[in-house]
Amino acid sequence: MEQYDPQMKIHQMSTWLDELKQKLNHMDDAEIIEHKIGTSASVHLLYIKTLIDPERLNETIIQPLHRSACNSLSSCITNAKVSEVLSFEDAEQKIMQGFILLNDSVNDQWLGVQLENPLGRAVEPSQTETVIYGAKDSFSEQIDKNITMLRRRLPITTLKTESFTIGSLSKTKVVLLYIDGLTNPEFVSLARKKIESVDFDQFLDSSQLAAFIEDHNHTVFPQFLQTDRPDACAYALGEGKLTLLVSNSPFALIAPITFFHLIQSPEDYFLPWPVASFLRLIRYGSFIVSLTMIPFYVALTTFHYQMIPLPILFVLLESRSKLPFTPFTEGLFMIVTLEIIKEASLRMPTKTSQTLGVIGGIVIGQAAVEAGFASKVLIVLMGISAIAFFLVPNYQVTKSMVLLQILLLILASFLGLPGIVIGLIGILAHLHALTSLGQPYLAPIAPFYGKDWNDLFIRGPLIWMKTRPNYLKPLRKWRQEMKK
Amino acid sequence: MATGDEEVKSLSLYNRTSTLGGIYFLLLVNRMQMHYFILIMPVYLVHPYMVWGIVAMGLLSHLNLMMMSKWFTSSYAAKGYQGFLQLFGKRTVQVFAILGFLLILLKISIITLGYVEMLHNFIFPSMDKRWLILIILLISLYVASHGMENTLRFVVIAFLCGAWISVMFIPFFFQPDANYHDLYPLIPTEWSGQSWQGLLFIWSAFSGPVYLVFMVPWLSSNKKISKYLVIGNMLSIMEYLLLFVASVLFYGSYYLRKIDFPIGYMGSYIQTSGLERIDYILISFHMFNYVFDISILLLCFYGAGRIFMRKMKERTTRIGFWSSWLVILISIILMDQWLWQTVPGQNMLLNIQIWISSCIYLLIPTILFTAVKRKERM
Repeated sequence: MEQYDPQMKIHQMSTWLDELKQKLNHMDDAEIIEHKIGTSASVHLLYIKTLIDPERLNETIIQPLHRSACNSLSSCITNAKVSEVLSFEDAEQKIMQGFILLNDSVNDQWLGVQLENPLGRAVEPSQTETVIYGAKDSFSEQIDKNITMLRRRLPITTLKTESFTIGSLSKTKVVLLYIDGLTNPEFVSLARKKIESVDFDQFLDSSQLAAFIEDHNHTVFPQFLQTDRPDACAYALGEGKLTLLVSNSPFALIAPITFFHLIQSPEDYFLPWPVASFLRLIRYGSFIVSLTMIPFYVALTTFHYQMIPLPILFVLLESRSKLPFTPFTEGLFMIVTLEIIKEASLRMPTKTSQTLGVIGGIVIGQAAVEAGFASKVLIVLMGISAIAFFLVPNYQVTKSMVLLQILLLILASFLGLPGIVIGLIGILAHLHALTSLGQPYLAPIAPFYGKDWNDLFIRGPLIWMKTRPNYLKPLRKWRQEMKK
Repeated sequence: MATGDEEVKSLSLYNRTSTLGGIYFLLLVNRMQMHYFILIMPVYLVHPYMVWGIVAMGLLSHLNLMMMSKWFTSSYAAKGYQGFLQLFGKRTVQVFAILGFLLILLKISIITLGYVEMLHNFIFPSMDKRWLILIILLISLYVASHGMENTLRFVVIAFLCGAWISVMFIPFFFQPDANYHDLYPLIPTEWSGQSWQGLLFIWSAFSGPVYLVFMVPWLSSNKKISKYLVIGNMLSIMEYLLLFVASVLFYGSYYLRKIDFPIGYMGSYIQTSGLERIDYILISFHMFNYVFDISILLLCFYGAGRIFMRKMKERTTRIGFWSSWLVILISIILMDQWLWQTVPGQNMLLNIQIWISSCIYLLIPTILFTAVKRKERM
């Protein structure tokens, strides 16, 4: 590390003004103001006017300087945080982050005052994880506001935040949050190491950061849980996980997670446990149904007619009698069509997407049957499968599932039921080998943590959940103070 | 960490990041006893009084596992290969490794051929069996390529996806045509060579956990291990009894001896209003067991190969691992071509497997138990 030399610093700092002027050249929104204090001294104010709050600039810096009632520059500014700028890179970065840079020529000192323009939107309900009960607020693009939301839910001094800046172009701020003395330090140091090793120019969303710090790149399964719900983040922090907030992204990253977190919903913890468990089981069932139903249809119609009882077989034969395609082609065609409709409805304005849903679901479905592209039975199964897809709360997983569905479809078309089982073994073996921040992805099944099963397939009563999940190796195992 | 070319070639198969707890002993014992033999068991046992044979052999297996638990808790076991060297010396370990290599090859071959035979008979009668062999070995290769630790942990998934199959046979106890008189005589009126063969068969069916001896470094061995081993064995006894009694009730002793795959055909009689031929699903899901078993044995096979080729100090490589897999694939295909397709050949292979697995289940725990005791005295 370079040695600190005050003389050298003064010499360097005197050249900063010219260098900064050069840097801000051809930037219409950059302003450099010179303000005289007394007879000889002058202060230079450098800022990007589109990034700062002009009203606060006037109140906080310009008016006190006009009054000239202060001994030093830093004592003039009383209602904003003033920090000393120690390097040219820091000066450059601060100015681009909505700071006002002040050059105190008397003391040969550069100061930064944060007067960032609060470009925030109002706190809105979550769009991706809607719940009937529970909190309605969600994260926004303002990272400080997001931290506030978490701090209000966890008003403890042990909730630690560590800031990082990533991206040579975007200079994105990343905040790592964890509860000191609870979260396993192994996770914190691993996350810290991973963030520090990130080397890329631009980060515009938390998902991009996730792509860089996840343990396995070649998988369709997310290893960080992306959520815009502060309550979900607070709960995760309380369990011993850590959270990453990224500036300008309304989605936080939670890790370590398991595969089962992707099937669970925040609402599971707001409902009575028998109801929540029932809904959770339905969700797991839907996951399996949506993944295997169409491949199962293809396996049955291609290889295993004997499995279908005679009355149903007649219906199926009648339904397929005029089709020119194989069950595989028919299934693949319908899966791809459904995906096209789903993608189109996402990209369109809300009212148009509703119309598209009707056209896609009823008109195209009906027309496909009449035109001989698909059988009635497949359309029914497709409908069930599509609805079952929507029960899985995690959007990323539903997208991954389509790929897995196609994989199983291909295997089913070659090997029937054993093909589907081979596919399932492959998927499970793959999941089994995955890790999220170094922790096994299929915990608490494999590795087996029997005590964590009370919040796995069923959501047991909260009073039974006296310990935090074992796979997270929390420093404080008991949730009750008495047992600490 | 390996870099560049080295990283491409090397493969961390036997790394250990943590040790697996006692529950894994339980599941491993159970799953390793529920392989191909369980599907053909009723053909070999036939007489209802063999129920006592299952119980007796199960209890003997308990004793054997208790003896093995002495090895699991010994300091030599945790050292893995080094522990064997300390006990037997380098030359003897190499001889054991060659024998183990051949025995594992035979076991993988027979369980694969047996399962493929089932798939071929029930689901794909017109498909070339070689494709099925290749596919099963490919998926096993994929599972095993994640390393010993991950593959051992896969036992939980194999258990959850495979153990429910036995439950599907419970309704056979309560069917109107289930004749409980078929369960008599429970005391044998005569004793023949076939009865002895039946006992030998049961003993060999229980022999699966013997391979756990080589997996101790990945498993956490403590004093309570014997409890888990016994529970796992007990679970297998119950599954054996359930399937055997159900098949006796369903077919009766007379017809039982005439059917190749009694458990498979029983499955085809399970019907629901929405689906028939549930046996297709049962046989397919049984693959979880086989793939797990083959994957574990594949890793043991490669390990044994490394010992007798004196490569233990070198890193595991993809080439070495895939070569081992290729050796297995070729030997299974050759075995299928030359022996398995004829009834005498098939019987010969099964008899060899029965005798060999019975012998190793008798010898290995005894040898290890004696060797540890002798060393401790010294």
